[in-house]
Amino acid sequence: MTQVEVLAKLQLIFDDVFLEPPKLTPQLTAKEVPEWDSLLHISLLLAVEKAFGIRFRVGEVEGTKTVGEFADLIARRMMER
Amino acid sequence: MRRMDLAEIKHLLVNNDLGFWPELVTLTQQATGFDELLFLSSLRKKAEVHGLKHPRADDKRLRLAIVGGYSLYPLHDLLTHLLEVEGVACELFLGDYDNYQAEIMDAGGLLYKFQPEVVCVLPGAQRCKYPGALSDPREVVQAAVDAVAAQLLDLSRIIHEHTGAEVVLCNFILPARHDLGTFRTRTPGSDWNFRKRVNMELGLNAPSFVRICDLEFLAHRHGALAAEDARGWFESKQLCAPDLLVEVCRELARLILALRRPPKKLLVLDLDNTLWGGTVADDGLEGIELGDTSPRGEAFKAFQKYIVSLKDRGVLLAVCSKNDFASVQAVFERHPEMVLRPSDFVAFKANWEPKSHNIRQIAAELNLGLDSLVFVDDNPAEIDIVRQFAPEVTTILLGADPAEYVGQLQDCRMFEPHSITAEDVERTGQYRAEKERQTLLASVTDMDAYLASLAMEATITEFVSVDTPRLSQLINKSNQFNLTTHRRTEAEVHSLINSPDYICFSVRLNDRFGDHGLISIVIGRAHGEALEIDTWLMSCRVLKRQVEETVLNELARLALAKGCTRLEGVYLATPKNGMVRDFYPRMGFQTKSETTERGEFTLELKGFQPQATRIIVTHHAYDPS
Repeated sequence: MTQVEVLAKLQLIFDDVFLEPPKLTPQLTAKEVPEWDSLLHISLLLAVEKAFGIRFRVGEVEGTKTVGEFADLIARRMMER
Repeated sequence: MRRMDLAEIKHLLVNNDLGFWPELVTLTQQATGFDELLFLSSLRKKAEVHGLKHPRADDKRLRLAIVGGYSLYPLHDLLTHLLEVEGVACELFLGDYDNYQAEIMDAGGLLYKFQPEVVCVLPGAQRCKYPGALSDPREVVQAAVDAVAAQLLDLSRIIHEHTGAEVVLCNFILPARHDLGTFRTRTPGSDWNFRKRVNMELGLNAPSFVRICDLEFLAHRHGALAAEDARGWFESKQLCAPDLLVEVCRELARLILALRRPPKKLLVLDLDNTLWGGTVADDGLEGIELGDTSPRGEAFKAFQKYIVSLKDRGVLLAVCSKNDFASVQAVFERHPEMVLRPSDFVAFKANWEPKSHNIRQIAAELNLGLDSLVFVDDNPAEIDIVRQFAPEVTTILLGADPAEYVGQLQDCRMFEPHSITAEDVERTGQYRAEKERQTLLASVTDMDAYLASLAMEATITEFVSVDTPRLSQLINKSNQFNLTTHRRTEAEVHSLINSPDYICFSVRLNDRFGDHGLISIVIGRAHGEALEIDTWLMSCRVLKRQVEETVLNELARLALAKGCTRLEGVYLATPKNGMVRDFYPRMGFQTKSETTERGEFTLELKGFQPQATRIIVTHHAYDPS
């Protein structure tokens, strides 16, 4: 999957989880979205793992700074399946 | 959770629709996934920000503290969510990560400044490890087991002594890995054996103010490997895998709510295809399936045996069947494989009336609230009629396979004892003896002669620690003869013992038909010249037996001994306690003020003459002899 494809699928998950879903761009960060607190972050990660059928390794999500980097990580984990 | 539900509830929230709350409650009850529940929790918080208030929200918030050797986030969020959808709002204190021992030991610390009513303790499993060698002798390891358990119970006791709070103490999840192979069970110091034994010591030695949240069991039920989440531990010090955390929080919420809610009392059973296979009317006495000759018959017999075990631990049983009374009676009397006997039941309805009608009648005859009944049937139509016409009754629809009946009832969570008291076990006997008393009453026309013939004896005792489980049980379940309906946890009851301003006693009654057990409780507080009656309650089984008069005599005696000159009573109306609205005036109190919700009454003790009764008091409260 390309970053664009991952972002498109991610957008659907965000649309479910957020009351006022942000429009995803590669540059977007959690800080810019008021609703995106740590509780929502946890449910988001679990929803992403379920939807993409992947499992992140310890500590690696923390290392992604933007939605674009997060999408790239998802794409990398999908390659391994 | 389906996407449609998700869109629907978001829509309700965005539109400030009050339908949001019932929908949130339903989805919360159904949710199994951690992410679903977290999402619902964040919706709830958003609703509160939007000004969409829970209609049942209590103004009184439960002061709940959580401390432990794990990250309490997001556990606390799930837990408060589960409590809030049940109408219990929380004021929360969260301990720092793995700082629980210091927090509990620090008498002047923040935990105690918070004044918690309930404290959940989640000790870290990393501290539940045998430090010595695997080959150490059993006694040495056992001493270490005892020390770990004793330390945790000590911490619980310290909390209780500082605050009077109930403590919910989690035990330890067992390891899920093959590590050590056969020596896992052969060496006393293995993590597997060590934690199991610590858990056992915790459970067996826990005092009454400690509820054990059995993580060992919950993880076992969930599946040990699925329970584990190494990544969650390293990343954020999580207790366990997310989906198990949901189960843990549900259990914690249940334990906290159970402190305030009584268990069910009466199990009402259908007969055909519930206690045996087939229908008596069609298949006849010989044709029904029951007993060890067929697998299906064996399953029904096992179900009956389980029901007997419920009865043995104090659950009352009743029959409610659409049937011909005589043919049903024949099964109970003549079928060789029947386990349940007519004498196991306190009520027996086999007729053609609607079941909702029969059930209402059973409750009325036994003087039980409909909300203390559970009705079990295999027929969805019968379940439905009861749901519609006796909605306070909890219903259980049995599944298609009788093999699953026992498991279904074992998992229904309606009959879990808060504490097992001797009276529970005696209860069926008490209700049956009541029937015999009624028969005697019918044969004696003179009330005084009847009461005299009962040869009643009362034992009146100040609150003592050994009675606290039973005292708190009665305080929390008594609805009808209860002037104020003030509920108290075991811890709160315990704190009244030896409290100098209080007069607290309970009454036990027996007569020639049997022992009624503990049937009345009074809590009074001396305030200047007045003795204020905080609690006066009585079991309805002993109405009109002069227990009320006996209690008043005792109360007056103790009040005078404390230097009080009057009794002050208050009546607080509830939907259930109408029978005592005029209780104080009937007992000779003057009415000071009265509205539909509340009455205040007073009785001057100058020249008080004890009322004559047919009850012999064999022991008085606070009697030094």
